[in-house]
Amino acid sequence: MSHENTIETFADQVKAIPGGEHLEMCYSCGTCVSKCMIQQKLEPEYNPRRLLRMVMMDMRKEAFESPTTWYCSQCDLCYPACPQEIHISAVIAAVKQLAVEAGYSTPLSTVSVDESLCAGCGICVMACPYEAPHLIQKEVDGVMDLFSEVDENRCMSCGICVAACPLGAISRKGVSNKEIIKQIKVKKQKSIPSLVIFICDWCLREDDDLSILESYPANVRVIHIPCSGRIDPQMALLALRAGIDGVLVCGCRPGECHYQHGTDITTCKMSLLDTMIDQIKLRDHRVKFVQIGTQERGRIRQEIDSMLETLNARKEPH
Amino acid sequence: MVDAARQSKIDLRAYTEVERVEGFVGNFKVTLREKAKYVIADRCNGCGDCSSVCPIEVPNYFELNIAPRKAIYVPMSQSVPLIYSIDMDACIKCFKCVEACGPLEAIDFSQEDKLVTEDIGAIVVATGFSHFDPSVMEEYGYGKFPNVITSMEMERLNNSAGPTAGNLIRPSDNKNPQKLAFINCVGSRDKRFNEGCSNFCCMYSIKNAVLLKQMNPKVDITIYYMDIRTPSKGYEEFYDRARKMGIHFTQGRPSLITEDPETYNLYVHSEDIALGEVIEHEYDMIMLNTAAIPQPDQNEMSSVLNVAQSPGGWYMEYHPKLRPMDSPTDGIFFAGACQGPKDIPASVAQGSAAASRAGRILHSKEWEIEPTVAVVWPDRCVSADGKSCGLCSKACPYGAVDYAKGKAAEIITAKCHGCGACVAECPHDAITQLHFTDAQILAQMRALLAEEPHKKILAFRCHWCSYGGADLAGTSHFEYTANERGMRVMCSARMDSDFIYEAYRLGAGAVLYSGCHPQDCHYITGQLIGAKRAKRLSTIFERMQMTPGRFRIAWISAAEGDKYARVLNEMQAVLDNMPEEQLLEEIERLKPEVTKRLRRFPNVPGVQEAMDFSDTMVTAITTKESAA
Ligand SMILES: Cc1cc2nc3c(=O)[nH]c(=O)nc-3n(C[C@H](O)[C@H](O)[C@H](O)COP(=O)(O)OP(=O)(O)OC[C@H]3O[C@@H](n4cnc5c(N)ncnc54)[C@H](O)[C@@H]3O)c2cc1C
Ligand code: SF4
Ligand code: SF4
Ligand code: SF4
Ligand code: SF4
Repeated sequence: MSHENTIETFADQVKAIPGGEHLEMCYSCGTCVSKCMIQQKLEPEYNPRRLLRMVMMDMRKEAFESPTTWYCSQCDLCYPACPQEIHISAVIAAVKQLAVEAGYSTPLSTVSVDESLCAGCGICVMACPYEAPHLIQKEVDGVMDLFSEVDENRCMSCGICVAACPLGAISRKGVSNKEIIKQIKVKKQKSIPSLVIFICDWCLREDDDLSILESYPANVRVIHIPCSGRIDPQMALLALRAGIDGVLVCGCRPGECHYQHGTDITTCKMSLLDTMIDQIKLRDHRVKFVQIGTQERGRIRQEIDSMLETLNARKEPH
Repeated sequence: MVDAARQSKIDLRAYTEVERVEGFVGNFKVTLREKAKYVIADRCNGCGDCSSVCPIEVPNYFELNIAPRKAIYVPMSQSVPLIYSIDMDACIKCFKCVEACGPLEAIDFSQEDKLVTEDIGAIVVATGFSHFDPSVMEEYGYGKFPNVITSMEMERLNNSAGPTAGNLIRPSDNKNPQKLAFINCVGSRDKRFNEGCSNFCCMYSIKNAVLLKQMNPKVDITIYYMDIRTPSKGYEEFYDRARKMGIHFTQGRPSLITEDPETYNLYVHSEDIALGEVIEHEYDMIMLNTAAIPQPDQNEMSSVLNVAQSPGGWYMEYHPKLRPMDSPTDGIFFAGACQGPKDIPASVAQGSAAASRAGRILHSKEWEIEPTVAVVWPDRCVSADGKSCGLCSKACPYGAVDYAKGKAAEIITAKCHGCGACVAECPHDAITQLHFTDAQILAQMRALLAEEPHKKILAFRCHWCSYGGADLAGTSHFEYTANERGMRVMCSARMDSDFIYEAYRLGAGAVLYSGCHPQDCHYITGQLIGAKRAKRLSTIFERMQMTPGRFRIAWISAAEGDKYARVLNEMQAVLDNMPEEQLLEEIERLKPEVTKRLRRFPNVPGVQEAMDFSDTMVTAITTKESAA
């Protein structure tokens, strides 16, 4: 009997890429599928279990065309839940690498850099969780200079770089600075406090919780952002300056961020904001950052109510 | 249990622990700790008057702490024997019980633990299993969400003798749940916690669903599963019945349970694999079918009993197919889940088998053992001259060597299993193993390496694993080098350094040192001894600058025929990659070094004769072959 395999299977190729070697342990339990939030929030066809299966069954084309290959943000929510200890995002990344090599490209709409504004400072390079932007030497308008360029197949469209760029040179469709600022304007009623909520697209798992957001009157304005890391302190200050009573920023619990460390970046920014608020002598307790875990059904209501209560207490004359 | 208590030849010792086991088959001395009950067993009639007056209530562990008991108590009303005992950690010494007991005078606060030693012919271990604590799995919220319970809690809650008299209520509000989910494989088949399958959860999950449905056909029950395993007679039919009753089976392993903080209702997030969709359903109550795990004291008990444990911690049987109820130590048997999770029918079958095996011992005057036991040459043992040594007794996995400074070591033959560890470990060659003497092994080696030894790969295989692996490679027609020459010993522990040196002295091209994977070792810890020695040898050969790969260590199970073939082919490739002159030169270069290490070998009784005799034999073979 001969045990030589002359044809390299798709599975062999995936396993040859570091991270891909876990592939064959999958017994198709489906835990990762319901743990991951992409299927519920973004793409019903998204299914890591099925992608792994496609690789094992040599379904190369189907795998390369599957949204699972492209939408996984390597948040690793599924990894600690997998009973077979499969590093699923690493397997998916291996498939993606082969897909890119085969000439496929991401269906995600990613960020763009405005070269007329980019100063080549490289802050976006440091901020991005995915090593998508890099600095390149380029001739623009006859001048050789450093510019940021974003690898679209790496960019997951979190918008962290958009918030990080000091010159506003990067934008992401739907959540550019302008579009967010436009939403900040809240109908103000004298009797009740006004509140702006910046909420990341991923921290509320349950539909029930999302409908809670809709259940408040117009003085509570909800602004959806891809990641809490998309918010820079100025946005909150702008809201306060515009006469809004309070700002609530909601992101994922550390370790559960859909964009790896977006929520940690927000934690740093928020402590910076505290200092700034102190300096410009705005009253405190008006800006709050909360990190919500995937298991915390109903927490959003508690947070909004307690914020409104605090703001109410401030409004009432002593 | 009641029958057992009535049978005059069965002496039940409740509240008693095994502290020490000495001796050997038919002649064990077992030390028992009879724990103080503070109640005199012969006087207590189980009336319970004491308990009713006791003012102290603590959670009852038997009811998984969901019901109380008194400080003087029996864990349940059907306890056998029905004798009360006092939990001294809870007792406040009000002595109301003494008063209530009255003229029976059964309560005795002066009792202390008692150590007793008994002569025992055979031991059956039936210590069962324990339960995985699911609170470490944050995703299921056990311990945080009141209406998430374990299967054991369910067993008490729907039991007519349980704390609610069989009325299933949910802990948050004592209401009867209408919509329930059961989740299988909680902590089992899960590499993070317990790799193995717990064997009976699928069936008891279905059983509990059927029971609840029979009590109230309106309840809605969903069982979340990865696979439903029904591998016994009538089980699949039972599963059919459950489906006909309207119990839902959803294939998909839930990733998360969330709770509505107001209603305490629960939401299960799972993929429904049949639909290929993520689903989220609301339930009143959820039962987690937690993994069966070894008893927390199983490691300690295995050293008290001197038996081995399989991967995962269960007691290891002598042979998985042929002797599943025997331990590796003669006279000790296993019954039930302590040897691996199994349901009641399988536990009873194994228990009956173990009892009849134990009965054989009790009815025998003599006990037959394998003839391959170790024997000491007392005149060679240095301990007799007052030198301290005892390496043999350290090596023996069974404690079969009776060693004391000042007298020659002695093997307790009835305890010896014939692994040969002591034989190979004794630095003074004072022990031999019947049927596997150095001389016999040497004679085989010389015959195998008689012709063109530098082209041969001498493979030492252990009887139970790698020999089986080689066998399987053969019967499966996995091709491997024809230059392999196999040698069988019982255990890798018997693979004496002298044999390996001698192989190289005789000019062997390569030597394989192979045996079981550590967890498969037939002789408890024999492989560990073999592995340690092999590693030492490997360092020595490295220092001698032997070409890497000419000495190879490989642990190969009887099921790994492919691995055996692969290892041998890799070794052949090492030889193929060396020009012949270079190999011969290396063999010659190393000869003086290995010979130096072998200086004491010819003194081993029989070895010189084996050398002389096999030389004549080898001459005979060679002459015959060249004539043909
Ligand atoms: C929730 C649940 C439901 C089940 N339902 C069913 C069912 O419907 N049908 C079925 O066939 N099987 C069922 N099973 C499986 C069944 O429980 C086991 O098959 C059975 O209990 C195994 O019996 P055993 O005697 O080996 O072990 P156990 O029942 O665990 O008994 C072992 C005993 O040994 C004692 N012990 C442990 N260590 C020591 C020690 N060191 N010294 C002295 N004593 C010790 C323990 O206290 C215990 O009393 C169920 C299991 C679970 C968890
Ligand atoms: S959780 Fe792990 S084993 Fe289950 S389907 Fe996903 S990758 Fe496979
Ligand atoms: S790593 Fe995150 S995005 Fe990728 S499959 Fe897992 S849970 Fe989904
Ligand atoms: S949007 Fe996110 S992923 Fe894309 S380049 Fe910016 S920081 Fe990186
Ligand atoms: S080490 Fe092995 S051969 Fe030696 S006495 Fe113990 S069981 Fe017997």
